[in-house]
Parts: sequence; C-alpha cells; structure tokens
Amino acid sequence: MQIKKKLPKENIMLVGFPSNGLVGTFSISYLIHHLEMTQVGEIEHPDLPPTLFVEDGEILPPIRIYKKNNLFVIISDLPFNPFVAYDFANSILDFSKKNQVKKIIIISGMETVNRDPKTPKVFGLVTHKSLEKLLYDYGISKFLAGSIFGTDAALITSFRKSKIPALVLYAECHPFFPDPEASIIAITTLARVLNVKVDTSDIQKKIERLRIQHRNLMEETLRSLHQQQEKKTGRVPQIYK
Amino acid sequence: MEKEQFEIKILSPTISSLLNDDIDQRILSPLSCLREFETNWLLEFDLPLVNKKDIKITIDKNFISVEAKLKETYLEEKLGVKSKFEYFKKTITLPRKIDSKKIFAKFTKGRLTITIPKVNVGHKIKIE
Repeated sequence: MQIKKKLPKENIMLVGFPSNGLVGTFSISYLIHHLEMTQVGEIEHPDLPPTLFVEDGEILPPIRIYKKNNLFVIISDLPFNPFVAYDFANSILDFSKKNQVKKIIIISGMETVNRDPKTPKVFGLVTHKSLEKLLYDYGISKFLAGSIFGTDAALITSFRKSKIPALVLYAECHPFFPDPEASIIAITTLARVLNVKVDTSDIQKKIERLRIQHRNLMEETLRSLHQQQEKKTGRVPQIYK
Repeated sequence: MEKEQFEIKILSPTISSLLNDDIDQRILSPLSCLREFETNWLLEFDLPLVNKKDIKITIDKNFISVEAKLKETYLEEKLGVKSKFEYFKKTITLPRKIDSKKIFAKFTKGRLTITIPKVNVGHKIKIE
C-alpha cells in the first residue's frame, strides 16, 4: 500500500466481522495485511465458543485489535449470535472512548433489489450529521431506506447514542455466498475515505479461491444471521439450504 | 524485502466442515440457496473455478443435481492434512408444484442460477 498523503491525525477505528457476503471480513483482513498493522489486543466474551487459531506456533484469538499510527482495526473471525452482538458493540464503544477515537467505520455487505452485477455500489449510512459531508465529498450514495439487523444494527445502536460518529459502508453483494468482488469495491471506497491508495490486484487474483475457501464461514455466518433475524423480527427467514 | 503474498487469515468457526465434502472422491459441496418468488423459485449454486461447459445439471423426479469439474485442482489444508478437490457436486430436493419442463439455467461469474417456474394450481374464488 502506498500512502498518498499523511493520514489524518484523529484516531479512526475500522471494524469488520462476518456478515452478508463476508464483505467486512475480506476487506478488513486485506487492509490489515497491506498496512502491515500490529496486533495490540483482543476481545474476549464468555458466550463465544472457546476457539483459538494457531499460526506458525502463534496463538491468535478470534477477535483481534490492530493498530498503526492513528488507525485502529477490530476484526472478528467469528459471527455473533444475537446475545453477543450488543456486548461486542459496547466493547468497541468502550475501547473507542478510552483511545480517543473520533470516528468509526464499519464495513459490511447488503443485498439490494435490482442490483446491477456489473456495477456494484457502496452505500453509506451515518449515525451523526457531522459525517454526512463525508458521503458527499467521496461520492458515496446515501443508504436511504431498508432494514438492518444483526451485528451491524447493534453497532449502529450503540454508536448513535454516543458522541463518536459511525459510518457504515455497505457494499452491494450476494448475501448468501462469499463475495470478494464486493469487498474490492468496499476496500476502494474505504481507501478514498482514509485517503490512502490500495492496490487490490492481490485479492483480484484470488477471488475464486477465496469463495471456495470460506464456504464454511459463510454457512456459519448465515446461521448466526438467521438467529439474529428471527430474534429481531420473529419472521421466518428465507429458505437456505 | 518482497512483501509476503496476501492470504486472508480467517479462523474457521468450526474445525469440521459444515458442508459435505467428499475427500476420497475429491468432491466439494458447493454453497447453494433456494429462494421463493411469486411465480418461480430461484436456485443458486456458487461454482467458482468452473467453466460453463463443465457443468452438468440433471433432474430426476423430485431432485435436481449439479455436477461441475473444476478448471484446476483445488488444494485445501486442514490440521496439517492436505486434500485435493477436482469437482463440485450437490443434489437438492425440488419444491413441489413446479413446471419442470420450463426450468432454465444461467451461469455468470461462477454463479449458476436455475429458475424453476411454479405451476398455477387451484381454482378461482368468486368475490361476493
């Protein structure tokens, strides 16, 4: 990654977790790698399945905090059930307050009606008016109407009641299949907002393999999303096999 | 120093696969979803690393099967065990009251979309 200009001085938090199309997970993982960020912490929760990832003998927890300069990143490799989603959101809010974070950006995916697969778009939703200008400045279409459920909703709810504004970038994606292509659109938009240049050729080359590699996580994520949707709306979820 | 090649390091929430991959037969189980609309059902399969000419769809009574040969071998390593896969295969139970003769399929960007029209059964009710 090449830095075009110096990053703004204010602390910014980026958040990604498994959701529609795994857009947040792909995008944030890619940025962590390209920015060569350092892991500075982790988030634990007693209701999360006791899971650890071992890589080259190093133990990695599923929810990790990374930092580089003024940029913090929180990434989760685990999808959340409805009970954990609010705790996760509140943990991020507490961490943001303690670390003087001035803005949080959440990357996620959404299904849209009449989506043009050739030109997927990114929609922005802001919790505070102070971030609305940012949408206009970077040409991000405003998320005007629709329903949000799951971890996204928990985060939005927590931050809209706080003094820290949140921007959610929703990339149009396939909701039930891993969608690294949508992640590329999200990464490009995020790079513009952060004023950095990102070369996405690495992820471009691996799109098809990533889709196979993360089938299992997609399945697990859908189960969690359906749990959250059922709890939130009481409606029968869409049929998924 | 050359930058390490990008690899998304995402922890799998479950060690055992939720999908019915067949390691011995080198068959992967593709993700699929079935959605209901007013006049049809939409059945989708995610088939990355596949060319359209290598897909076979068959319907037998209440089942629809999709088989596809991968354009290159897919290697997967779990807990130090390497497995090779060369095919996708999955069979789905078809919904009821469909017009199986009018089923059609499209393949775009590694996604197979099968449209299954519904048949209109029943009778009109007069509004008094």
